[in-house]
Amino acid sequence: MDPGIALQAVVSGLAQGAVYGLVGLGFTLVHRLTRVLSFAHGDLVVGAVFVGLLLTVGTTPVVATPSVPTAVAQVVLALGAGAVLSVALYLVAVRPVLRRDGVGSDGGAGVLGWVGGTLAAGLLLRESLGTVLTREAYAVADPLRLDRLDGGDGVLRLPGGGSVPVRLLGVLVIGLAIGMAVERLVVSSRTGTAIRAVADDRETAELMGIPTERVVLLAFAVAGLLAGAAGVLTAPGGRLTLAGGVVLGLKGTAAALLGRLGSMRGAVVGGLVLGVVEALAVASDVFGPAYADVLALAVLVGVLALRPEGLRAPPAVSAT
Amino acid sequence: MSAVDVAQVLWLALAALGLNLAVGLAGQPILGQGAFVSVGGYGTVLLADRGDLPLGVAAAVAVVGAGVLGWLVAFGSSRLRGAYLALATWGLAWLVFAVLTAFPGLYGGSQGLVRRSPARLVSRFLGLEVTLTPVWHVVMAGALCLGVMALTRCILRGPVGLDLAALRAGPAAAESLGIDGAALRRNTLAAAAAIGALSGAGTAVLLGLIAPADVSPLLSVQLYVAVLVGGTASLWGPLVGVALLVALPSVADLLSGTAEFSVERSRGMVTAALLVAVLALREPVVRRVRAARPDVDVADRGEGRPPALAEPDSSPDPGGRAEVSAPSQQPAEAAAVLEARGLHHSYGELVVLAGVDLAVRAGEVHALVGPNGSGKTTTLRLLAGALAVQRGQVECAGRDVTGQGQRDRVRSGIVRTFQQTALFPGLSVLDHLRAGARGTERGGGVWRALLRTPSWQAAALRSDAVVKDLLGRSGLVACAPAQPEELTHGEQRLLQVVRAAAAQPLVVLLDEPAAGMSKEELHRLRDLVRDLAGNGMAVLLVEHDMRFVAAVADRMTVLAAGRVIATGRPDDVRRMSAVRAAYLGGTPEEDTL
Repeated sequence: MDPGIALQAVVSGLAQGAVYGLVGLGFTLVHRLTRVLSFAHGDLVVGAVFVGLLLTVGTTPVVATPSVPTAVAQVVLALGAGAVLSVALYLVAVRPVLRRDGVGSDGGAGVLGWVGGTLAAGLLLRESLGTVLTREAYAVADPLRLDRLDGGDGVLRLPGGGSVPVRLLGVLVIGLAIGMAVERLVVSSRTGTAIRAVADDRETAELMGIPTERVVLLAFAVAGLLAGAAGVLTAPGGRLTLAGGVVLGLKGTAAALLGRLGSMRGAVVGGLVLGVVEALAVASDVFGPAYADVLALAVLVGVLALRPEGLRAPPAVSAT
Repeated sequence: MSAVDVAQVLWLALAALGLNLAVGLAGQPILGQGAFVSVGGYGTVLLADRGDLPLGVAAAVAVVGAGVLGWLVAFGSSRLRGAYLALATWGLAWLVFAVLTAFPGLYGGSQGLVRRSPARLVSRFLGLEVTLTPVWHVVMAGALCLGVMALTRCILRGPVGLDLAALRAGPAAAESLGIDGAALRRNTLAAAAAIGALSGAGTAVLLGLIAPADVSPLLSVQLYVAVLVGGTASLWGPLVGVALLVALPSVADLLSGTAEFSVERSRGMVTAALLVAVLALREPVVRRVRAARPDVDVADRGEGRPPALAEPDSSPDPGGRAEVSAPSQQPAEAAAVLEARGLHHSYGELVVLAGVDLAVRAGEVHALVGPNGSGKTTTLRLLAGALAVQRGQVECAGRDVTGQGQRDRVRSGIVRTFQQTALFPGLSVLDHLRAGARGTERGGGVWRALLRTPSWQAAALRSDAVVKDLLGRSGLVACAPAQPEELTHGEQRLLQVVRAAAAQPLVVLLDEPAAGMSKEELHRLRDLVRDLAGNGMAVLLVEHDMRFVAAVADRMTVLAAGRVIATGRPDDVRRMSAVRAAYLGGTPEEDTL
């Protein structure tokens, strides 16, 4: 591969990877607190963006850059919608099932319920939006105006002859900043300590006087905020479709799995790795654009099938 | 409805019935049935048209391929807990979908593939030529559906159904009885995948085309919902679910007539709403059905066996062996049936066992006591095969079993119970014992049990006799049809012991069986344990309650800090000064005694 093209692929891969990292981060947070793997997390990303768009510019958004108040409203609404939808997901599809069947982490049949619950919630969100939206795919203007970072034509020329849209740099910086900020908050703040306590042992945390239910709700809200942020960052980059949410969610999951599920920093790094691998594959002569989703999904399935020890503690023969 | 429609519904039902084996029977969350359906459909069309294989051969190859794929998925994820299997199969569904749309040259893009050759089944060997009319499809798919249902019924009512029920209700406890959960999960998923592929092949041949939209991940979700409608262990559930799925378009059309919804979109919304409703309503509905047929579990599984298990048996024993375990009374100085030599174990830096020797003789109750953290439970888990032996040796009946895992140890004659009660919610007391007794029949495998071979029937009769006998001797006869939740705490602990004993092991390892028992329950447990030993079983007992140990044990081994500090008759041991020091001499654990 031409080094200039490779550099171009790495830069755009890092930007896309920062977005995967945010999605994976929310997924990880939810998993750590409830042991649930949210099958609806990707739908939250796309759903949040669409809610923000629908409430500001209606069902037929124009590509023209929105005015400042509209743009601010769009971003705030998208973040808020992500948080609200995520909390609703917990209240409607996760909590009732968990209370009845348990999480089924022992490999028993308890798992059937919440898997169906989160799948159904994602499907319901997708299909409900689908009844309102008039088009299959949308091109979305960037409310953050990251393409005007350089004040010029919005194209960043790289050494070696390649070039990337300058907004990708903004995506990378903002994405990483949000990811690291959330990771720091969970590690060092008081609330973060409560979150980790509930994640480690909910019952004991409850006995210590931590309002566990509120902590779980908070974690879902933060996961939703992260989903909204990921959506705002990634949506202007290409075609925005409802179905794309699931694949985006699965890529975020793959990012979280690459970094050892449960580790927040791992999710961010895993996202960057996945983004770069995907971008390099797409730019390469061997694979090509057709492989964008195929490769990421193959990574997900492959990691699950071949390296489960990377995902959880090494299996003892059996717990007592 | 035309014959084509009927045939299409039947092929869809076949995919759901196949998936039921993995989801409804084995309790696995499989979200990738659509992937297996598309492997079957696309595989058949590609092999028949481009590979120029005869249609039947093409379909067979595709079906076997999908079965292998399913087995591989299950094998790869067998080390994962259920949720990760859901994720892996969901990823697979989207992966296959992405592949189908990414390479239009091979798979025809979103248009899919159209079959070139006419739908004929030609056999070169027999000179037969069959035109595959829609009616032929109806007959074929219908027959296959009936076949899968017959298989499902056979599994549900037979002993393998019991294994699966135990696996769904309590995987760890099921494994402790020697049930091979991994193999059951793998094989049901492979079967589900192969049957799904068959459905895909049939649909593709029927319609003469296959497109990604028909086998999208939405299909996977729909089939999953269809199976969940009937709940677990259901024979008819998948058909009800498919009927609902088929009825959806007309519901959706009604909706689209009243609102500005497009049919395609509202169909998805209704599916999602249905799934939410199913998850919310499943439990109460199933409970109501159960309440209407209270004895369904007991009556169904007793098919072909003597049903009257309620009273202690006095009739001649059909298998010629009603005694639990070896009937001969052992002399006092019998050879050790379970022997451990030089067991070392450490968790990382922490050394828990530093060379433990232990010998348990047939017909003796051997208590393993010691302060908290002295390594009792670790020893028990090493003996049961629940922990891999790091250093040292374990022999059972003269055979080296050091390298065996828990399941093989059960076959060698070692069964354990758990410190925390681990029963099977939803299964009757009788079924708990039957599941335990399966430990001895399981050797010949699933096929012998499914075909009900004479040797299997003899084994089944024998274990029935054992179950009946144990019910009588443990005093649990009165609650044979009860669920574990209806028992008192003490009875639940007792049931755990009896379930292990039903496997007729040479040695039973009991981890604090007396914990939390009332005085009267302690007496029942004491009588039961003495009774088991009296019939030749070796009993190793980890216990804190020293009065109970004094009442029941023949011999006693004291552990302290990972070493054996005394072995002998309980009275003698209790007088030893080292033992008194370990318990009373200011060790930090003293106040827990």
